[in-house]
Parts: sequence; structure tokens; C-alpha cells
Amino acid sequence: MTSDKPAAPLPLEGVRVCDFTWIIAGPQATRIFADLGAEVIKVENESYLDAVRGSAGLHNNFHRNKQGITANIHHPKGREVVERLIAKSDIVIENYSSGAFARMGFPYQRLKELREDIIYVSLSGFGHEGRDADYATWGPTAQGVSGMTAVSGLEDQPPAGWGYSYLDHTAGFYAAIGAMMALWHRRQTGEGQHLDMAQVETGMVLAGVPMLDFQVNGRHYERIGNGSRWPAVAPHGIYPTADEDRWIAIATETDEHWAVLCEVLERPELATEPRFASNEVRFQAREALDAALGRLTARFDADSLAAALSERGVPAGACQTIEDRMEHDPQLAARGFYPTAEHPELGMHRFEGLPMHFSRARWRIDRGAPVLGEDTRTVLRDLLGYDEREIAEMTAEAAI
Amino acid sequence: MTGPMQGLRILEVGDLGEVAGKLLADAGADLILVEPPAGARSRRTGPFVEDLPTREGSLHYAYLNTNKRGVTLDLSQPDGQDLWRRLVAQTDIVIDGAGLEVLDGFGLGYDAFSEAEHLIWCSITPFGRTGPWRHRPTSDLISMALGGIVMMCGYDDHSLPPVRPEGEHSRYIAGEYAVVGILAALWQRVQLGLGQLVDVSMHEAISSTTEGAYMNWEYLGRNPERQTGRHAGTAERWQLLCADGKYAVLFGGGVPRAKKALQGLLAWMDEYDAAADLHDPKYEQLLHIRPAEGGELRKHFADTVAGFVGNRPMEEVYRRGQEIGMPWGPVRLPEENLDDPHWADRDFWVTASVAGHPELVRYPRAGYRMGQTPIEFRTPAPALGEHNAAVFINELGVTSDELARLQERGVV
Repeated sequence: MTSDKPAAPLPLEGVRVCDFTWIIAGPQATRIFADLGAEVIKVENESYLDAVRGSAGLHNNFHRNKQGITANIHHPKGREVVERLIAKSDIVIENYSSGAFARMGFPYQRLKELREDIIYVSLSGFGHEGRDADYATWGPTAQGVSGMTAVSGLEDQPPAGWGYSYLDHTAGFYAAIGAMMALWHRRQTGEGQHLDMAQVETGMVLAGVPMLDFQVNGRHYERIGNGSRWPAVAPHGIYPTADEDRWIAIATETDEHWAVLCEVLERPELATEPRFASNEVRFQAREALDAALGRLTARFDADSLAAALSERGVPAGACQTIEDRMEHDPQLAARGFYPTAEHPELGMHRFEGLPMHFSRARWRIDRGAPVLGEDTRTVLRDLLGYDEREIAEMTAEAAI
Repeated sequence: MTGPMQGLRILEVGDLGEVAGKLLADAGADLILVEPPAGARSRRTGPFVEDLPTREGSLHYAYLNTNKRGVTLDLSQPDGQDLWRRLVAQTDIVIDGAGLEVLDGFGLGYDAFSEAEHLIWCSITPFGRTGPWRHRPTSDLISMALGGIVMMCGYDDHSLPPVRPEGEHSRYIAGEYAVVGILAALWQRVQLGLGQLVDVSMHEAISSTTEGAYMNWEYLGRNPERQTGRHAGTAERWQLLCADGKYAVLFGGGVPRAKKALQGLLAWMDEYDAAADLHDPKYEQLLHIRPAEGGELRKHFADTVAGFVGNRPMEEVYRRGQEIGMPWGPVRLPEENLDDPHWADRDFWVTASVAGHPELVRYPRAGYRMGQTPIEFRTPAPALGEHNAAVFINELGVTSDELARLQERGVV
């Protein structure tokens, strides 16, 4: 499947990535490389299996387009397989706890011996340097540390935080961007480098504005629910609709939006009521306003209300579930966002695409995630120069 | 030494291009932000220095426009359009975040430059350049709702609305993916000798940033249910109130997965005589069984740990937890990290000025710590029209008299 013109080339064709990633953050980064055409070879072994393999669908989505080999680094021949692969790779990336990859025998120095201009991306919770380098994170830990959990939630409630590991995605994005920038630099200068990435830092770069606000104005952030702080406008929130646990988001930014909203909700007289007549008074009275609006929106179907508002220029939308997005979202469907590919065990499935179209290139969803060791033989034979006899021997010795 | 993208020339227009532009400018690219003479919308977005909404006082603008140069240009006037064409002729990359109506509306979009074969043109729009929703009005709240993030965040109590995580994340997600697209196109330009249009959809970017939601629907046929302070669908409480009124995240519900961590936890609890019956060897089986199979045993263990944590201050819960090998975290406000010495050890902060404030402040440096091409802070966000003379006179050859006339007529 392709996003655009089937004959177009893949932008990162010819780039090779030696992939020691697991769980989600690292795999998110190498997924981007693989979708864009890089040859991503994921290395696993019984002693360092990807813990996400237990969630087959999640694993399938994050490792599509990749090849998978097994190599036992505790066996000299298995280690040699990995070393040959590193020597032929442009990028080595891992997201183990800080120091673990070095303990497996692959500090940056060793990687450089294997390939002088290697780009090494290590992605851990707190990075490889600094006094807390040994601390470990999962997405929710990093979200708590970086400040993203505390600022999200309703005013009079505990933090709602994030209902998933958003920072696993974010850390993966920054790892992919950093690695691509390093590739660019290497092309200009011939020089490789180590990117020492910390998941928490990728969260903190998203919070630069509140950090400046605190230093300049002394302001501590308080949760504002679904309201809008800047600009201070109302109504701006998420409201119930006629169906159970079905919500609509509405963002009125002007008095015109407000007037249209009142009309669509069949209460045009509300627009000019003194207590709601200007944004300033609406913002002051936003709690009462939200409660009143919620009683009105509860009489409508979310999608038709959102359509009626959107058509007249008021930003509005249903709070879509994944079911909505995959089954009923006409925009995602029109853009071909969920192409299908086959997995040897899970069969044909849809996948999340890459969120862009290129005019002279394409991205791909060619295959599902590799089953354990699916590509060992091909990679060893065609890329690393082993013959069938050696491969059979190494298999018998459990080196691969 | 400057960043990895030095030597590249980029033009940036419009609100949605801001994050992508920042990432590339911080990385060393020579990026010119093109604003209307009245100023970019970002300048009217708070917070402001001393809460005064002045043209140079937006901290939102200050953070998202570091290391850029800035010129003004009225793209609705023929002379402004002429200068725009001349700027594009000198550029490698255009980041167009102004919406489908602006550049394309004036005939100044990608199609107008199809002869410039090397040009990479990244269009960042709320829904993409094609499809039935391409003109639909939106905002951060609406994009986060349509893209599915909102419905995964909120509280156990579903009479409360789901929650849009705070922080303009729709812009960040789209901007990060835009940089991916730009760098891919740049790499391909080396192979093909040709640039291209990269059409980034914020709606798709958000829709591919919801982790387990896809798996739940595509493989299990269910929608994940939002819960308080933890993953949708997780059975256990993670977020606990500590003795000082702050919250901590006990990832995994507070139950260790390794014997060493269990021993460390019990030793710590013993210091406060709080281990109760948890020394009983029967709890060791929790190390080996899946959380869902832990039953009453696991619940009792987690409840006892929760009671203990509720009597300790948050920072202690975080640090002692990590020291014994538990991936626990504090629920900090963003600014609380300014005092954490670990980030200074890593040289994460850049100390620099912000317009209108007498003291230097610390900015987060970058999401990647690059060994050979460190991300440096060269200049704060440009004042309105700060580089008009440098760009229009020195680089485009406009005379100073002409520039004065253009200024009078509001072209720049």
C-alpha cells in the first residue's frame, strides 16, 4: 500500500538501521524510518525479547515494515552476527535502561570501532549522563516528571494526566528527528555521533512556555480543564450530547461564534442576554455558562451538532473514539490513512499510516511486524555474507 | 560549532509552521519568519511578560521562535508578493502553516513555484490539503477531540467530561511530524536532485499518536475507557496523594516486579514500621504472576503500599522508589524541574534573554542531546521586522529608499 503515487520512491531507501528497540518509545522512532523506506533490522533474542510481543496488535503496529532477526549476543558467533550488522548500519538505536547496552558489550566506543561514522541513538528515561541517569521511566513516569500530568485535568479534580504513554510517541519522534539530523550532518562532514536522549527531556521541551511564564511572571500552572487560558474565551469546553458518554468539543472564539452557537442550539435569545452578551462576562461566568450549555447540547446528536456548527464557521467536533476514527471518519478514509498489510500469524490488518503525503515520494505499509527471527536467514545470507552451512551450524548452537 | 542543519535556508509563514520552524532553526538552519506587518498571531497569544499584551511581550512567541530571523511582508499587495517570490527563489525549504486560503489564495503557494525543482515545500494544515474536511474550522481543543486523544483522557467517573491535555499538543505533534517529512524530503533531494510538496495533516498526526487505542479496536473490537491518572484500561491505581498534598505516579500500582526491588521496598517501609504483613513469603509470588492474576493478594499489597506512600512526601516517594528500582515518578509542575540538578548536569538549560524582562531566564535546550552538533541558542525570537533591512537590502538588493517607501505603504 502507498500513501500517494505507487511508482514514487521511498525517501529513506538505502539507509540501514540496526534496531535494538523495545516496548514503544524506541520502536516509534524506527517505525518512522521503516515507513519511509529505510531498511530497519530489529535484533532480538530469547533473553532480550520485546516485552510488547505479548500485545500482538500493538507490536504489529510499531514494527510493521521492519525485518526481524534473532542473535544471541552471549554466544561468540551470535555476537559476531550483531557486530557484522552494526558495521553495515548507518544508525544503531536502542531504548534500554541507561547503561544496559554498554553492559551488553556495546558502548559507543565499541560501536565506533565497528563503524567509524556510526550514528548511535540511545533513548533512556533520564539519559546516560547526569546524577539520576540510573532512574528508569515508562511513559507515565516521564509524563509525571516533565509536568505534563499535573497541568491536565479539571479545576476541582486531581490531575487527569494522559490515558496512555504520549511521551513514548514524543520520545520516538525526537529520536527519529535527531537521527535524521545526524544523518544530514554526516553527509556534510563524514562525521557520526552519539545522541544521548532522555525521554523526560522530550516532555520538558513541550513545556517551555509555562517554564518561561513561571520565571518571568512567577505563575504556577493551575488546571483549567477544557477551557482556554490564552485567549481567555468562553464558552470553550466539552459538553454532553444525547447519547451516553458521547461528547462534543466546542471552541467559540468570537461573539459571532457565540451568536451562531445560540442559534444552532435553538436558543437565539441567549446570545444577547446581558450575563452572556460579551466574551468578558461569559469568561467570568464560564462555570454557569458551561452548565447551561451542557443542558442544551444534551438534546443533540454529537455529529450533527458538530456538522451544523462547523458549516457556519464555529470550531466544533465530536470527541472521537478509535472506532469513530477507523470506521466513520470521512477525512481519514479519504486520505487513505488506514492501509492494510499482512502479518504471518495475525493475518490481514489495517495499520495507522504516516500523517503526510509526498508529491514525489511515498511511504509504505508493505508487511506486518516480523515474527521472532522471521528474517534471520535472509539477512545473514544476503547482507552479512554467511553461507547456508554456517547458518545451520549457528542455529544448532543456538547462536542465532 | 552550530547545529546539524546549518547552511540550509528556510522560510516560515503562518501559525502552524511555528513548531517545525523552531526545531529546524534551533538545529542551526537560517530560518526567516515572514510575518504580516501587524505581527504574527503568535504575538497575540499569552502568557505575556507582566501580563501586558504588547507586541513583543508574548512568552508563547518568545519560546517558539528562538533562533529565527524575522521580516514583515503584506502578501496581499503586489510588491509584497514580488518580495515573497524573490525570497522563495533563495530558499531550500518553505514551511507553510498559514492555512489553505493564504499563500494558495494569493497564487503564492507551491504551484506557483513548480519550476524551482530543488524546492521543498511543507504544508501543515489541520486536516491535510485534500479530503472533505480540509476547510473545516478547528482549534487545539477540536483537533485533540477529533484526533482521539481527548476520549482517552479524563476520570474514572464518566459523568465528568473527558479532558483535553493542556499545552497546545496538537501543534507540537503536527510540527514534529512536519520536520520528519521535511528531513525525509531533504534526504531524497540528495538522491533525486528534486524537491517536492510535503502535505502534513494535523488530524492524521494526532490520530497516529494514541498508542494502544488502535490495537484495542483493530484486534479486540473495543474502545479503551478513560481513567483517572493512568492508562485507559488499566485496573490499578497509579496516581497517589502523598503526605505533602502532591501526587506521585506509582507505575505498576506499587507492586515490584523483581526480588531486589521487593526487598528494598520492605526495608524502606520497615524504617517507618509500615511493612505490616508484607514480609510474608506468600507475597513473593506476585513477582512471577501477571497483574491481572494477582487477585486479593495483589490488592492487599498495593493498598498497604498506598497507605505508606500517603504518609511520605512526594519527593521521597519518587527518589527512594527509583533507588530501589521502581519506575516511580513525581507529578511535578513543569517549572519544578528548574530546581532539579540532574538537568543542569546534562546542560539541558540555555540561559538567555527574553524581550521585555530584565533578567536572564532558562529555556529548555532540545529534545536530543547531540554529541558532535549540540543545539545552541544563537538569538532570542526576533522583534517585529527586526531583519527587514538585513534581508531585503543586503540579501535581495532592495535599496534603503525603496524599503522606506515599502514601509510607508505598509508592504513591510
